[in-house]
Amino acid sequence: MSALLPIAVGVRDLTKRYDQVEAIRGVTFAVAAGEIFGLLGPNGSGKTTTLECILGLRRPDAGAITLDGVDAIAQPERARRRVGAQLQAAALQDKITPRQALKLFAAFYRAPAGIDELIGRFALAAKADAPFDSLSSGQRQRLFLALAFVNRPQVLVLDEPTAGLDPQARRKLHQIIAGVRAAGQTVLLSTHDLAEAHHLCDRIGILDGGRLIAVARPADLIAGGATPPRVAVKTARPLTAAQVGALAAVVNCQPREDGWLLGTTDAGRTIVALARLLEAEENPLLDLQIERPSLEDVFIELTGRAWSPPAPEDE
Amino acid sequence: MDTRVILSGLYRYLLLTLQLNFRSKQALVYGYLMPVFFLLAFASVFRSDTPLLVPEMGQILTITILGGACIGLPTAMVAERERGVWRRYRLLPVGTGTLVAGTLAVRIVIVAGAVVLQIGLARLIYGTPFPQHPVQAAGAFLVVTASFLGLGLLVAALADDVPAVQALGQCLFLPMILIGGVGVPLAALPVWAQRIAGFMPGRYAVDALQRCFNDSRGLAGAGFSLAALAVIGTAAGVVGAGLLRWDAGRRLGRAGRLGIAAALSSWVAVGAAAALTGRLQPTLPYDTAYEDITDGQIADISYADLPGDNELVTRLAPPFKDGRAPAGMAEFTYRLRDWPPGRLDDPGQSIRNLLSVASIADLRADPREAEMARVVFNELQRRYTPDQLRHVLAWIILRPDDGTVIGYAPELGLPLHAPTRLVRVRCALYAQKYLGRLLGKIRD
Repeated sequence: MSALLPIAVGVRDLTKRYDQVEAIRGVTFAVAAGEIFGLLGPNGSGKTTTLECILGLRRPDAGAITLDGVDAIAQPERARRRVGAQLQAAALQDKITPRQALKLFAAFYRAPAGIDELIGRFALAAKADAPFDSLSSGQRQRLFLALAFVNRPQVLVLDEPTAGLDPQARRKLHQIIAGVRAAGQTVLLSTHDLAEAHHLCDRIGILDGGRLIAVARPADLIAGGATPPRVAVKTARPLTAAQVGALAAVVNCQPREDGWLLGTTDAGRTIVALARLLEAEENPLLDLQIERPSLEDVFIELTGRAWSPPAPEDE
Repeated sequence: MDTRVILSGLYRYLLLTLQLNFRSKQALVYGYLMPVFFLLAFASVFRSDTPLLVPEMGQILTITILGGACIGLPTAMVAERERGVWRRYRLLPVGTGTLVAGTLAVRIVIVAGAVVLQIGLARLIYGTPFPQHPVQAAGAFLVVTASFLGLGLLVAALADDVPAVQALGQCLFLPMILIGGVGVPLAALPVWAQRIAGFMPGRYAVDALQRCFNDSRGLAGAGFSLAALAVIGTAAGVVGAGLLRWDAGRRLGRAGRLGIAAALSSWVAVGAAAALTGRLQPTLPYDTAYEDITDGQIADISYADLPGDNELVTRLAPPFKDGRAPAGMAEFTYRLRDWPPGRLDDPGQSIRNLLSVASIADLRADPREAEMARVVFNELQRRYTPDQLRHVLAWIILRPDDGTVIGYAPELGLPLHAPTRLVRVRCALYAQKYLGRLLGKIRD
């Protein structure tokens, strides 16, 4: 986060308990104006609880939250006026149309966005007057996103905005969110999709077991990780463990069905050494790929656990 | 946020919710078709009424309001909560109380539509007259609906899902329909059920609404009923608003049980107040004659909380020495014996007229009011058999609004008018004092 930009969302020492269970513990982060910040974490990590506390849907047991400079705990209604939000597990009445829903929500704001403008922007024109129960999941998500924009917010809070969407609808939503950044608005989103977080977010915070264990730019997180790059190699005749283990810069090697996966501190030196070995042995190279470390590797390093696959419902 | 924006939002919310209500087949069936069905069912059961349905309109409208407020409101709210609609509404920059108020306002309009439909159809199909007091009827409708909406809010707060709403709603609906004087007329219920009905709001709703249809006094005598509805509705509404949940996942636990106890305590308080003020006397059918009064009904009459004989209201002199009236009362005694309104062929009306004399003297604070009441009692005993007198006095107590009363009697030295509404109340009190003495339950 740039020190020059004002803080759009500030969260300090946020704690929330449900009965005896601490859903989030001492979560602290800040989102700069104009930034896309992703809360990344597996199911049950506390992403939704954190966002619900920020939106005033749940009262935290401890901590402070500011939204666009407003104390969101002391003045939740005032804070909500500055925020647009899209929630998980939200719905509308079966027979309400997108146009009616947008008009209804717009009526509660002093200077709302134009309804037709939102319908056009979120590609809802074809279904603007169709009942909610006839919309596809992608159209519903776009409608909720449009509702989040109805008050021309400076800060957008999106909880798993692409959950349950097909790849095409997902790409469309990614374009919309990227457009938000271009317009200078701030986005705080939660996701358990590593690729989405990497692709969309300027910075990410990794939540695990209710604690924020890392906050950084995706590239910095990966670069700062201990996982080395890997070289996947496939040859016409199998190589031995002794041969690949002796290659330059290789730190570990794993056999694969038709080749080897080599962990290396310097992929270039390893590939040069491999090429010399194969040439000397007249062993043709069938395939070679360099695998860079990913956010998943970073997560495994940080938590000691494998990344859990996305589930239909989170938290 | 300025009020204009909030009102504009609520106005659109109201319009849209009404629009959506009319697009929902379920809402139309339960909100409008069922009330029409009840209207037709009542008309087929009470075919002998003239004009048809007048004595039952209070019950019919109460059923409609009860269904719309105690089942319709929580069903809609809980269904929307389960779907997550309320989660989305909570992101709006208005207080939750404002949104709840908007929801209740919408429901009042929906229920009012059903009530107007019933009154209109009753008029159209059966010629049932419109309420005698339309403005008071509108006021009574608002009080009854607000009270039942309080109960509906409590149900919405307590129920975890829609099936639970149906179960809780029926816990309110069925007892009031069956033994609460709402579905089955109070007068047709056994005495024990009538007493239990005094602890339920349905009885008071029927009373308040019915008075607006065919009671010349309108809501004048419905103060207790309106207060009972206000107390029960407010208690339920306050508890319901406090416990209301926006998330389907949250459970209430102990808070829910305490809430139910707090809300029900208002029912107990109302019933106890009704019992202590003598309002749980058995109610008789609309056209009951004094001959129909049973010994059991006479035995059930309570004499608690009657004013003392020397107090300001309904004074009664002790028995005269040797049974003879004092010198100053001879003229009055003589005239009373020949007073025509006291010598009608109908003993019921004659006795009511004689009781009116004691009541006028009491209300006009005649210096001889206590002695006059004693003379009236002596005259009643002289003229009627004990059995006949017991039945007529019980009839006057149990049906104070039947027959007619007299507001002044210049021929008996009582030329000043007394309000007949108050004369009726005093007649019932004197009837209790006389009957208690005849039965030995009050020492003379």
